[in-house]
Amino acid sequence: MIEIDNLTFQYNNSDRPALKDICLHVEKGGFTGIIGPSGAGKSTLTYCINGVVPHYLTGDFYGSVRVCGLDTVDNGCMVLSRHVGSVFQDPESQIVTSVVEDEIAFGLENFNTPYDEMEKRITESLEMADISHLRHRDTAGLSGGQKQRVAIATAIALRPEVLVLDEPTSELDPEGSASIFETLSRLNHEYGMTIVIVEQKVMLLSKHSKRLIVMQDGRIVLDGMTREVLRHSEKLVELGINCPRVVELAGKLSKNGLYQGDCPTDVDEAYTMVTDILRRQK
Amino acid sequence: MIQVDGLSFSYSKKLPSILSEVSFNIQKGEFVALIGQNGAGKTTLLKQLNGLLKPTRGSVKICGMDTRTHRTSLLARHIGYLFQNPDHQIFCETVGSEIEFGLKNILQDEDIINERIKEISALLSLGDKLDKSPFSLSRGERQRVALASVVALKPDILVLDEPTTGQDYRECMEIMDIVKGLNDSGTTVIMVSHDMEVVAEYARRTIVLRGGTVAADGATPDIFRKTDILSSSNLRPPQIVELALKFEDGFHTVVTAEDMYCEIARRCGK
Repeated sequence: MIEIDNLTFQYNNSDRPALKDICLHVEKGGFTGIIGPSGAGKSTLTYCINGVVPHYLTGDFYGSVRVCGLDTVDNGCMVLSRHVGSVFQDPESQIVTSVVEDEIAFGLENFNTPYDEMEKRITESLEMADISHLRHRDTAGLSGGQKQRVAIATAIALRPEVLVLDEPTSELDPEGSASIFETLSRLNHEYGMTIVIVEQKVMLLSKHSKRLIVMQDGRIVLDGMTREVLRHSEKLVELGINCPRVVELAGKLSKNGLYQGDCPTDVDEAYTMVTDILRRQK
Repeated sequence: MIQVDGLSFSYSKKLPSILSEVSFNIQKGEFVALIGQNGAGKTTLLKQLNGLLKPTRGSVKICGMDTRTHRTSLLARHIGYLFQNPDHQIFCETVGSEIEFGLKNILQDEDIINERIKEISALLSLGDKLDKSPFSLSRGERQRVALASVVALKPDILVLDEPTTGQDYRECMEIMDIVKGLNDSGTTVIMVSHDMEVVAEYARRTIVLRGGTVAADGATPDIFRKTDILSSSNLRPPQIVELALKFEDGFHTVVTAEDMYCEIARRCGK
């Protein structure tokens, strides 16, 4: 679905590459989380997938990026946007109309979607994003979470195979963030949409993502199944990543010789770990 | 230090109250978190503390000064306010002049001002950025600039509205460790946060706001064990507390990974 080979990219007016020799293949139907400190190149990587780099943000581009078989250098954002939907950090910067259904129609109109078809797509994408009830509402009066969901509905109305999101929950409260992830999981499970998401809330992300990629200084430093990557607790802490506190706890316990087993990744596994440690003491 | 007594507030007589009958006292040197879902009145309450908003009923006193009878500029000498988005408070052309701006309003002697800028920029690792434009810096660095301009005035009370939003974990820890240092040296801190891990790791006392009223107020470890109150506010306790609550004794007052580790080690006789 996404094939990135030996990608190096340096923005114009920058003195060092934002991405260095990135190789990343994402399968169809994957749910891939990208984490890492700021300045690691996470956003730039998403721009390379949706074609914003090199078409709008320019620079020196080496290697190749293919999305759904399309080379992102040879195909412009207009072509790519039928295959890759994008959602950014701040929904305000993405919303252009004043009524929810107009917002979704806007993208479809740009692709000359016939009227009957448009009606169908609007209904369908509102339903997929869990906001059918907001169809006739003013976009200005929506909460942050609702606006972000409008941005998601707008992106999926074009029926992309891939949805790329750059910190979509950064302005949302815990409840709003959790519900965005539930919607993404549903798009992934029920509609087979491939999800690639940059996120700082690692605990929330790791509940939903199948694969985790850790970036640092323009490179991919860890890549694997979510559970496998989380087991590198010391490396994650060293990189300044907000890893789940049960992972941190297991790290402290094993460092001090109290635990040797697998690193737990959630509360239930941590409960088993702690009960075992305490039982052995008795 | 802060006395809030029967505070009610609405933006106009026609609109429903955003805060109703809120009362609490905060002593010098406390570190208090204010939590609650969006729309619970957290930011409105913070703005009452520095006099940006005035009570409709009841009263707010800061260092003994009633906010209805004392000018906001006078209150500002005692209470520093860090907004959620640093770009809402940064406006000068260089980092140095940003930090200098507030100081010029309260100090005359240029040498003292320069000394203070030096001291604060060192504390916040901005020493090499004084000549730069704040807008050429990263979001995390801009947050530090905004904090520096507030802290430079050496307020008795520091009010933070979601100080860690939009930053990566390392930047978040940098800001919080600076705030903790100020608290250790006597500054009273009141912080709104959605990040329960940050609340668990830094705040000794937590107040839960729900629908404009105080739903709970107490020591942070106790508040995180009131699961019914938290869930009715759409909040979840930090991961370590969820783990602790699976045990019969609830692991007493454990809230952080460090607490939990120490308690397990103690029970294992280490």
